[in-house]
Amino acid sequence: MAHVPNPRPTGDFRVSYAADRTLFKTKNETYFVIGGILLVALAPLFFGGYVLSQLILIGIYAIAALGLNVLTGMTGQISLGHGAFFGFGAFASAWIAGNGIPVMLAIPLAGMMTMAVGMIFGIPAARLKGLYLAIATLASQYILQDFFARADWFTGGTYGSLAETASFFGYALDSDASYLYLVLFWVIVSFVGVANLARTRDGRALVAVRDHYLSAEIMGINLTKYRILSFGISSFFAGIGGALYGHYLGFVSAEGFTILLSIEFLAMIIIGGLGSVSGSLLGAAFILLLPQAMEIFANAVATVVPAIAQGTAYIKQMSVGAAIILFLVLEPEGLVHRWRMMRASWKLYPFSH
Amino acid sequence: MTSLTRLTFATAFAAGTILSGAALAQDDSVLVGQLADYTGPTSFVGKQYGPGVSDAFKQINADGGIDGTMVELDTVDYAYKVPEAIAQFKKWVGNDMVALQGWGTADTEALISFVARAEIPTVSASYSAHLTDPTGKNPTTKSPAPFNFFYGPSYSDACRALVQWAADDAKEKGIEKPTFVHTGDNHPYPNAPKEACGSYAEELGFNVAPPVVVPLAPGDFKAQCLTIKDTGANYVYMGNLGGSVVSLIKSCNTVGVDATYMGNPWAGDYQTVEAAEAQNLIFPSSTPFYGADVPGMELVKKIAENGGGQVGDRPTHHYIRGICSAYYMKEAMEWAKANGGIEGKNIRDGMYQKADWVPEGLEGVCSPSNWTTEDHRGLLKVTINSGTFKDGEAVIEKIAEIDVPRRDEWLGQ
Repeated sequence: MAHVPNPRPTGDFRVSYAADRTLFKTKNETYFVIGGILLVALAPLFFGGYVLSQLILIGIYAIAALGLNVLTGMTGQISLGHGAFFGFGAFASAWIAGNGIPVMLAIPLAGMMTMAVGMIFGIPAARLKGLYLAIATLASQYILQDFFARADWFTGGTYGSLAETASFFGYALDSDASYLYLVLFWVIVSFVGVANLARTRDGRALVAVRDHYLSAEIMGINLTKYRILSFGISSFFAGIGGALYGHYLGFVSAEGFTILLSIEFLAMIIIGGLGSVSGSLLGAAFILLLPQAMEIFANAVATVVPAIAQGTAYIKQMSVGAAIILFLVLEPEGLVHRWRMMRASWKLYPFSH
Repeated sequence: MTSLTRLTFATAFAAGTILSGAALAQDDSVLVGQLADYTGPTSFVGKQYGPGVSDAFKQINADGGIDGTMVELDTVDYAYKVPEAIAQFKKWVGNDMVALQGWGTADTEALISFVARAEIPTVSASYSAHLTDPTGKNPTTKSPAPFNFFYGPSYSDACRALVQWAADDAKEKGIEKPTFVHTGDNHPYPNAPKEACGSYAEELGFNVAPPVVVPLAPGDFKAQCLTIKDTGANYVYMGNLGGSVVSLIKSCNTVGVDATYMGNPWAGDYQTVEAAEAQNLIFPSSTPFYGADVPGMELVKKIAENGGGQVGDRPTHHYIRGICSAYYMKEAMEWAKANGGIEGKNIRDGMYQKADWVPEGLEGVCSPSNWTTEDHRGLLKVTINSGTFKDGEAVIEKIAEIDVPRRDEWLGQ
């Protein structure tokens, strides 16, 4: 990653271990995050169903993208099967809840189950690297997809299965406004968890595996263990995201969890910023909102140039593709890097960096 | 780039606020949602049926709506994706939708419990028999579907009629123990009649071969055709539609399968017969074809002329079925308006009011149908047609009309 100056002001030295261990680099950053959480928490007071549903979906996809970011961004392993793990979480939670366990418990349990499945499919990672690993994880995508279509007892087969409504001590979370808080809770738990993971011994070991696996091994890091662990963590968050998605829609059907979804997750973390915790959230928001923004753009163009009214659907699809390409060319390090640059230039003004 | 990104976000949110803020329901109109597939795997017929429904409502509004109340039809192309259909349904319910015009089997069956909870009567283009048991009277019914309706014979009943026809046909041809095989994707729509039809074929003395999975997306199906050839099938039932049916017939002709192809209600029309250059493609229908000499055809022609023009000047019978779906709903809404107001439950009760029901103006087009509180098999009469490609065009003739018996154990199956 290109060099970005440290945002902390001159003279602000860390003089104690406690100061060195804070989660956020500056006070403003802390206020910013807390303010953001409060803003989302207050959103139901001001916004209608559409904005709330977008916030919920961004939260759900961000959790899953965060998981993939642990695997790809932090550990340097690629996975083309993340969408299938997301689906597994959704089916697992629907199945657990269907067997009489409260949804609130079913969600973390589904995360655990997905973690176990992810670790099994992560085993090839112990031996394979790069493109070969990509193809091996592609196999997990297809195996799970076929499993969804055939395991009637678990997924309801091709018909899919009903996912019960979540309830909190007897209060049904059946509206967007109430479900938003459940998603917000899991977003906070996941993001704080991963932000902390990056600072632990295990987290640093994952980064070492990514940066140079041979050196990492020489330093005593068990490559197999950490690669499989990384698959496990990544699948856990995919499972949590999937479970939240399933209970939000109320119905889980196999066709939603294809390779396309897996690639969308990859796009989210690449656009958001590989290895960045907050980048996962930005990337999820970008990928989710871009098609809708482009639809508005296409419709606006169509009102100016009525001749293309028939082709708005195509214009929308093509502009989504074009926006992604432009983005990758102009900002290959992701939204989070752009944000850091903006902050640095503002802090260091009038001196360039 | 940054400012562009910021602008993108801002526009997205602004648009969202506008969308959510705009109250759709006005005093003199009611919202009806329409799920259509114009870009997905079933768009081949979705582009016919969908405009049938929307053109019909356009005409209904032009003729004064539901006794003065306009129908605000919101058509959404959900591309045959179940999660999208469910998300859209929730959005509509939030905007006070009173009824739904549905499309595919996967989404309609997924929505059974949703429409029941929200009390939204649904007229679907899915003819899955699983939608016909409103009370769960048949112990084998998985989930009762109290708010689901459709116009036409169910997939199972249409297939039973085809099998019945095939039994006679085999007798005529002197085949002693004919073989029947079901083909179709492993997907709720082709699967819907699989067991029901297979067991009836067995009852009629067929040798029933194991079903062959043929993808819904068109492709090269020679491998599947070799399997069909190995079974020695005389009658091949096709649960798919459009391009997939065309591919199957062409691939099987190459491989040399000697069988009669029978399609479900979506698998046969003049376009498919022409594309496949099919010989003797057997398919069911529940309306006459466009231009037929029946009194109701005048209204159909008027609807097509005043419509959005998406179907050209020779719509298939799927378009006409769409019109029937819309007009049955319209008359049920009229009854609802006179009996407590246009809302979910009243519209559903409106569907039960008439026996041998033909919507006004569509005599001879929509067949007399009966929906009762315990049985949503509206129509059991199946017209069977044969389509043959001759001299560059499809020649379609009616070869039989079969009344499928209303057996209790077939309810919901």
